[in-house]
Amino acid sequence: MYMTKRTKWIGFLFVIPFLLSFLIFWLTPLLYGIWISLHDFRLSVGNNGFIGLKNYVDILTPDTLYNNVFMNSLKNTLMFIVLSVPPLILISLGLALLIDNLPKRLKTFFRTVFFLSYAISVTAVSALYLWLFGANGGFINNLLLNTGMISSPINWTGDQPYAWFVIVIATVWWTIGFNMLLFVNALDEVDPNLYEAADLDGASSWNKFRYITLPDIRNISIFVMITTVIASFNLYGQSLLITRGGPSQSTSSLIMGIHATVFGNNQLGVGSAMALLMGLIMMVITGLQYWMSYRNNKEETESGKSEKKRFTRATNVGPTNVSSRPATTIEKKERKVT
Amino acid sequence: MKKKRMKSVLLVTFTSILAVLFIFPLIWMVFTSFKTLSESLSSAGLFPNEWTLEHYQTIFSASADSNMVQWTINTAVVTLMGTVIVIFVDVLAAYALARLNIPGKKIILAIVIIALTVPGIVTLFPAFYLFKSVNLLDTYYPLILPYSAGTLGVFLIYNFLRSFPQELEEAAYLDGATQWQVLTKVIFPSIKPVVTTLGVVTFLAIYNDFLWPSLVTNSDEMKTLTLGVATLVQGSNFVNPAAMMASTVVATVPALLIFLWANKYFVKGVTNSGIK
Repeated sequence: MYMTKRTKWIGFLFVIPFLLSFLIFWLTPLLYGIWISLHDFRLSVGNNGFIGLKNYVDILTPDTLYNNVFMNSLKNTLMFIVLSVPPLILISLGLALLIDNLPKRLKTFFRTVFFLSYAISVTAVSALYLWLFGANGGFINNLLLNTGMISSPINWTGDQPYAWFVIVIATVWWTIGFNMLLFVNALDEVDPNLYEAADLDGASSWNKFRYITLPDIRNISIFVMITTVIASFNLYGQSLLITRGGPSQSTSSLIMGIHATVFGNNQLGVGSAMALLMGLIMMVITGLQYWMSYRNNKEETESGKSEKKRFTRATNVGPTNVSSRPATTIEKKERKVT
Repeated sequence: MKKKRMKSVLLVTFTSILAVLFIFPLIWMVFTSFKTLSESLSSAGLFPNEWTLEHYQTIFSASADSNMVQWTINTAVVTLMGTVIVIFVDVLAAYALARLNIPGKKIILAIVIIALTVPGIVTLFPAFYLFKSVNLLDTYYPLILPYSAGTLGVFLIYNFLRSFPQELEEAAYLDGATQWQVLTKVIFPSIKPVVTTLGVVTFLAIYNDFLWPSLVTNSDEMKTLTLGVATLVQGSNFVNPAAMMASTVVATVPALLIFLWANKYFVKGVTNSGIK
């Protein structure tokens, strides 16, 4: 495209609204947050002077007030990740596989149904599950009592391990649709010819899944895993509203800990340092996940686990059969470059 | 073939059972909102024995402790304005980055991608304090403006434009069209699907946002529906599941309707979000 110097700068006008907004609402808070974290900064009276890394040292020195808050909420958050990420990935993949095998029209319908809860806010989800699992007068307890399955009400939101159970159930119900949708779309793009060829050669369902489906949805699985871990790190509304962080702070999440430090203890400086540490931990874990999956990916390509080889394994026959069907790989639908 | 048909029937039946279980909490929410207080506390059934509208009348009455009408108005203002601004800002920036040879292009693109990897929590509290410093807490500004700093929209539209042929635009330039004309008459119609997706995603994100509005809002009059529901849940005297569910229905239905209307774009957008 031919552009003079003048039109170049006119073009720059188009990015100015974005740049301004980014500068004011993203870059400034980011840098200001780093600056605040290096100061004795109170929410009520503001800056009490530069203290270097003292906030960070306080948070990381065992058995101090802020260390307890941070470590306890970090531990709880990691616990929630361990409890919520496997069901969020496995159940959504299972649902996607079910939906993928349905007739086309029903596919669209069920995809919408299981994605529906995603449109609801965390506060509404919490209100719903708080009353489904209420200790006194909650629906589940009423049901269990009436059918005689329990003799006294279960304190779902106030006792462990029930408290985690309710939070995880609420979270899985709330966000599973998004993961499912990503998997359904990925499964849609697996080349049907591969399955047909495998069928002709009498491959079992499990082998087809293991050697055709799984390798093809590999990238999306990595993406789903990373985004799910990040989302679980950000646990806040569910434990604030359903269990209020209890019983005895056992479901209090990192964001709740930071919130309490800033607003409860008036310590914006310490809170900002905690938020930066949390962000750092998230970025390191995301980076690790990315790096590990990238490394595996490379190893697999290097060990020659190409499409052809996968196909061979799926049909579980000698490589001679493969060469008679080269079309399966050539006809593979071209992925949309987005 | 018969065997295949049988398998298909079984699959559909199984999926339907799962779907009913999945939707059950929503159905329960709606029916509970029509139960009387005592029934809602003791009921183990789905349908009300005695239908009542009293909870809806209570939450919308002038003396209600919940400001449902004002919250609905706030939510409408905040989500609509926020979404329009995000689309305006992101489309202009993405167009310039994808099509115009502007200075600093590579740096801006790098910023867009780096910002995507930084967790939102690190900017949240300082941003709150900045709004506090300029006395803008408890106004519409912090509830609307900060969403336009997100870089995901720029990234999505930029990617879409990059994979979109340029011939049409070049033809328009040859016919003497200005940049602005090309943007509004050629580009905008062609990026409509991805813009609609961004619009729906942004709308729902603002509508359902909880943590940020809870930081920058103090008074009951400035709350959004999502925030209002939290207030009701946390209110110690709100021990009435039926009334709680009535409020939740009111807060949820608009988002659900928007979602169902735009479902098609939503589904597409997730596919197109540049993951592959």
